[in-house]
Amino acid sequence: MTIWGALAGGFVGTLVLTTMLRGASELRLTRIDLPFLLGTALTSDRKRAKALGYIAHFGFGFLFASGYFAIFWAIGRSGWLLGAALGLLHGAFAGSALVNVLLPLVHPRMGDSMSAADSVARLEPPGFLMTNYGRRTPIVVLIAHVVYGAIVGGFIALSAT
Amino acid sequence: MASRAEHAGLDGSVETGDSYPGIRDLAVIGDGRTVALVSIDGTVVWLPVPYVDSPSVFASLLDARRGGRFELAPRAPFESRRRYVPETNVLETTFVTEDGIARVTDALTLPVGDGLVPFRELARRIEGISGTVGFGWSVDPRFGYGAENGSIGLRSGIPVATGRGRAVAVCSWDAGTPHLEAGSVTASFGTVAGSAALIALSIADQEPLVLPSRRDVERRLEGTVASWRSWAAEREAAGPWHDQILRSGLALKLLVQSRSGSVAAAPTTSLPEEIGGERNWDYRFSWLRDSAFVMGALLGLGCTDEAEAFFWWLMHASQITHPRMQVLYRMDGAADAPERPLPLEGYMRSRPVRVGNAAAEQMQLDIYGDVMQMAWLYADARHRIDREFGDRLASVADLVCDIWPQPDSGIWEVRGSARHFTQSKMMCWVALDRAARLASTGQIPSRNVDRWRSEASSIRSFVEARCWSDRKQSYTQAAESEDMDASVLLGAKFGYGDPAGTRYSRTIDALRRELGRGPFLYRYMSDDDLRGEEGTFLCCSFWLAEVLGLAGRREEAVELLNELIGFENDVGLYAEEIDPSTSSFLGNFPQALTHLALISAAMSLTRAEP
Repeated sequence: MTIWGALAGGFVGTLVLTTMLRGASELRLTRIDLPFLLGTALTSDRKRAKALGYIAHFGFGFLFASGYFAIFWAIGRSGWLLGAALGLLHGAFAGSALVNVLLPLVHPRMGDSMSAADSVARLEPPGFLMTNYGRRTPIVVLIAHVVYGAIVGGFIALSAT
Repeated sequence: MASRAEHAGLDGSVETGDSYPGIRDLAVIGDGRTVALVSIDGTVVWLPVPYVDSPSVFASLLDARRGGRFELAPRAPFESRRRYVPETNVLETTFVTEDGIARVTDALTLPVGDGLVPFRELARRIEGISGTVGFGWSVDPRFGYGAENGSIGLRSGIPVATGRGRAVAVCSWDAGTPHLEAGSVTASFGTVAGSAALIALSIADQEPLVLPSRRDVERRLEGTVASWRSWAAEREAAGPWHDQILRSGLALKLLVQSRSGSVAAAPTTSLPEEIGGERNWDYRFSWLRDSAFVMGALLGLGCTDEAEAFFWWLMHASQITHPRMQVLYRMDGAADAPERPLPLEGYMRSRPVRVGNAAAEQMQLDIYGDVMQMAWLYADARHRIDREFGDRLASVADLVCDIWPQPDSGIWEVRGSARHFTQSKMMCWVALDRAARLASTGQIPSRNVDRWRSEASSIRSFVEARCWSDRKQSYTQAAESEDMDASVLLGAKFGYGDPAGTRYSRTIDALRRELGRGPFLYRYMSDDDLRGEEGTFLCCSFWLAEVLGLAGRREEAVELLNELIGFENDVGLYAEEIDPSTSSFLGNFPQALTHLALISAAMSLTRAEP
């Protein structure tokens, strides 16, 4: 079990997660676009936002993979199934608290439940389980995170052999 | 702007609980998240929480017995007059009794200033002006559109009502000792010259209540006035109709959902188009039909931030249904709006009371013209449309080429079978014309521009051949029809036809002749598969004023506009419709499209001033 395995898993997992979310968007299942949400926290230029957002998204991918690694290290076990379970938890946390509650609080262009007539939000908030971006969004997000977790868990386990 | 109304006082008829205020007697306050409607007798009759499209805490407007309300009025017979604090959405109602005069200031406060702010806050300040006035007040919250009384108890000595994950704290200072009785909080007190009482409802949704201090509420009330004044001071509303444009702009701002940028068609549901009838709809959605007017008004008023937010919101909301667009979207951008009836009596027994709107599932071709016109206005105001949005708008134009020959439900969302509505075809022409213009300026890809132009030409041939009546000398409601429809005026406004040309000149005259009642216009008189009748449609009259101006008939236009302005209510607001014989308002209130049409007409006539 090595941190390099976790980082490699984080890279591949984020790649797959991003592709799955983009694919779901193209299939009109959801309007979620995590790199865009992250990037618009830094700039209002949509083009630059997407570029910066992808960099930030991969950064978070590495960060969460390191977190998975720490948990596996602490319990002394790893594997794709355990990773998938952590991914499920990760996805549920992302939908219910991370993107729904925490992101609007720090995002300068996103509205939240306290946005009032003295301010103008440029970006609609995701809502609980991100359902503002489409009713199927929670399912898509959960599946993508489960896959991310399985990949990270699998890579960490592989790095141990 | 002020009017007088006589009332029996809280010791008189108001307590019987079965009376409904006239829609004309309502005023709106709001905070960019939700709104409250306040009647001229001092009662808050409508308050959805936490957002404008959420279930209500007060809905006596839709069910006088079970809806819940916040009464605040002199106990003795009184006259009342009111106004907005100048350049704000803060309401002032002055009560005059035999013994004295008192003033109530109402606001949904903005989260301004320091300190812990409540999730939502309704503040009511009562000041004695002269003599003595005995007041009574009663807070009677009913959660979930009147479905649940909730429970009321004391928390740290403060009455708190709870239900459905929400809580309302009734905080009061110098406003008598609150008593808890039968699901409501009541008290009475008196004012003398110079006295000041304060009542604040602190409302929480899925979080603990914030119990504010009097000082904090007073500060927020003052801050709210200052914030609205600051917003109003930045607006561009010059010309002879400055006051009406600004009031309409302030009303529009209340309909802008601050967290997303979407704009509600109205903040109410099911205020009837016919008293006692079934034409009762939920307007707490953002309609694409309004989008061109919204963008025009926001840019005209100098609301660049709101215009950008609205454009972004619309493009994001419509992404999930792309390239097709829905008639309406929820305020949070979601696409579903299932319609269901509520077990409420209805305004003056007008049932059903509906939430949700089945029009979301209709096909309306005109919306594509509205959206492309909106994008054109946005780009014309020196905004850049990025590549992704440009690609999507080009795809929308391609879609219009494919679907314009299909019948649709039309701008009025007729619930019968689909037809070839004239205005829908005209707006398809507008969509393709604006797409070609956007392509010519490099804002959207130009690869299919020849097809757009060719199809636009086919649409024109269709309309001119099949949607014109030689007998009526007018564009008609639909192809091969002799029925009239005021919506064809939009073809002149948005450049489909020359307003001063022969066909439009004759259409204007025919519409006034066939659909006109004094200064007002019915939107149509033909059968629409719904029982009952409706009033004249106010936005159509403002469209007529604007088109008359565009046609060079300025004197007629100005006369009509001034006449229409005479029918605003005492605080400068309009509903969707007006009964031409009694001048009573009908339909949801205040209505965005009416105020948008007023702004558009007044700005157009101001620009064309000789």
